[in-house]
Amino acid sequence: MWTTVLVSGISIGSFYILIALGFALIFGVTRYFNLAHGELVVLAGYVAYWLWDVYALSFVLTFPVAILVLFLICLGLKRLFARLTEPLELNSIVLSFGMAIVIQNSMLFLFSGNYRLIRIPFLNKNFHFHEVYMSYGQLTLLLLSLIVIFLLYILMYRTYLGKALRATIQDKEAAALAGINVTIMGTFAFCLGAVLIGLAGPLYGCTHYLYPSTGHEVTLLAITITIFAGVGRLSGIILAGWILGLAESFTVILCGSSWREMVTALLLLILLAFKPYGILGNREP
Amino acid sequence: MINIKTKNSRHGFNKGLTPDKVSLLMGLFLLLLLPLLVRQNNYILQVFTHALLLATLALAWNILGLSGSISLGHAAFFGSGAYASALLSLDLGLSLWITIPLAGFTAAGLGFIMGLICMRLRGAYFALATLAFIEIPRVITDNWDQVTRGSLGLVGLPGFPSLNLGTWHIDFYSSFTASYYLVFIYFLLLLGLVGFIFRSNLGLALQAIREEEIASQAVGIHADSFRLFSMLLSAFFTGVSGACYAHLVRYINPGLVFGLHFSAIPMIFAICGGRFTIIGPALAALIIYPLDQFIFHPLIPTGHEFLYGAVLIFAVLFMPAGFWGSIQRKTN
Repeated sequence: MWTTVLVSGISIGSFYILIALGFALIFGVTRYFNLAHGELVVLAGYVAYWLWDVYALSFVLTFPVAILVLFLICLGLKRLFARLTEPLELNSIVLSFGMAIVIQNSMLFLFSGNYRLIRIPFLNKNFHFHEVYMSYGQLTLLLLSLIVIFLLYILMYRTYLGKALRATIQDKEAAALAGINVTIMGTFAFCLGAVLIGLAGPLYGCTHYLYPSTGHEVTLLAITITIFAGVGRLSGIILAGWILGLAESFTVILCGSSWREMVTALLLLILLAFKPYGILGNREP
Repeated sequence: MINIKTKNSRHGFNKGLTPDKVSLLMGLFLLLLLPLLVRQNNYILQVFTHALLLATLALAWNILGLSGSISLGHAAFFGSGAYASALLSLDLGLSLWITIPLAGFTAAGLGFIMGLICMRLRGAYFALATLAFIEIPRVITDNWDQVTRGSLGLVGLPGFPSLNLGTWHIDFYSSFTASYYLVFIYFLLLLGLVGFIFRSNLGLALQAIREEEIASQAVGIHADSFRLFSMLLSAFFTGVSGACYAHLVRYINPGLVFGLHFSAIPMIFAICGGRFTIIGPALAALIIYPLDQFIFHPLIPTGHEFLYGAVLIFAVLFMPAGFWGSIQRKTN
């Protein structure tokens, strides 16, 4: 049984990494906390649900549309963020909190408050490999998330663009001095964030129930993983996602599913109280 | 310190009848006469009762806001106050005049815990910690079935008992006017208190901490204690407002009173009205909430709350001092 819990924890944790990556990237490069992140993930899920339900589009084809929609929205958000005054981090929280309310209520208006799920029968089927029981949904989440993480790793650590992005994350001013256009890097972070959210949203929609106010939980998750990792550490994000996934799985088994929602919040509070700049980081952000 | 004093006089803290005070008195006078003006129209009265209650939330939030911190977690205090008073009156049968202050102390206790956790954090990280903090009392209330009845909530809470003042019989149960005046009196008391705090040494210290923490410590202000104390005060009154809400609406559940709504609302009103002004937050509550209820709610029944997000975005981008703050800046 414990191996099954372990595997499901790793699977959901990998998906959490995928969710958090967009948030972490935008935060790292631009220093904007985007509290509307969860709402954007849910919105991408709704776009996929709508295409799948109304136009009977194949689930795989919903990804490009979701990415495209998110692209436009994220570029719009970037323009709003660019108008902020100092202190940037705090004001970005307030601004994106307002955006979260606007997006949440727009979703309520467009899609109503009913619970929606992209039902794909195949994903609910179970299989077992020796002692480990798993559903195809969990396997899909695990594999897709790992593929995306791998691709992002290649982009960040094996290309010139990735090098420039990492330089901007580490030190904005020094990067600008070295001739990197920091503003364009910011725009690029938002674009990449949109792609990641557009990938995470439809996956979220076929594994979790969609309703307008669920985005808050997703945001909290992304914040927790990002703060856990410290700024600009892909390995930290992977570790954080897995720890969070495992912590949730074990809490559900040991205490019941109603306590699951507290795990993320508790972890974030403990982190902020003792290690506000990340487990792996030791310098101020 | 000299800098702070001059700043205060610029913000209209000088003596005598300023245009500021005249408009404040006129506004309060209008609120006092409101039940007569609307001819006992119960719907309008109810909306304004609720608006006044939300105004008290915004005022309480602003006690902490004065120190420059932005809290996204005041629903934790609101909900714990509502639950404390509801459970004490329902299960122990205590009078509301006892349970409501106790609710305030419960919320202040929670504020103390939150204060200890967030002590080292500033700015954005403080806001994130408070955002996460709401989940803890919410999930505990949700799961502690024996005491809190779980996620179904509490139904049939006692309303305010009727008062007999000589020959004058005030029945809060049937009269919306009486409930309105009850909340109005609480609002007035809190407004007076916030005004007093802003001018007191506590207020000056908090403003000094906000402007330059290290410099304020250098002149002998114990920043952490002042910040914690403002958190306790803020939590106390948010808890009292939560208790009033519970007994006015007479139904609560964890998702409602610990919901993000009650965290967002005071922050939005305070930022739109002007975080560093006394009456700005209250004014914003009294304008935005009725606007929402009378105009946006009939127009867009689901999703009318986008208004709150929109005004917040507008305020952050174009009016960082809030509209009352901007008006004050222009008139002075």
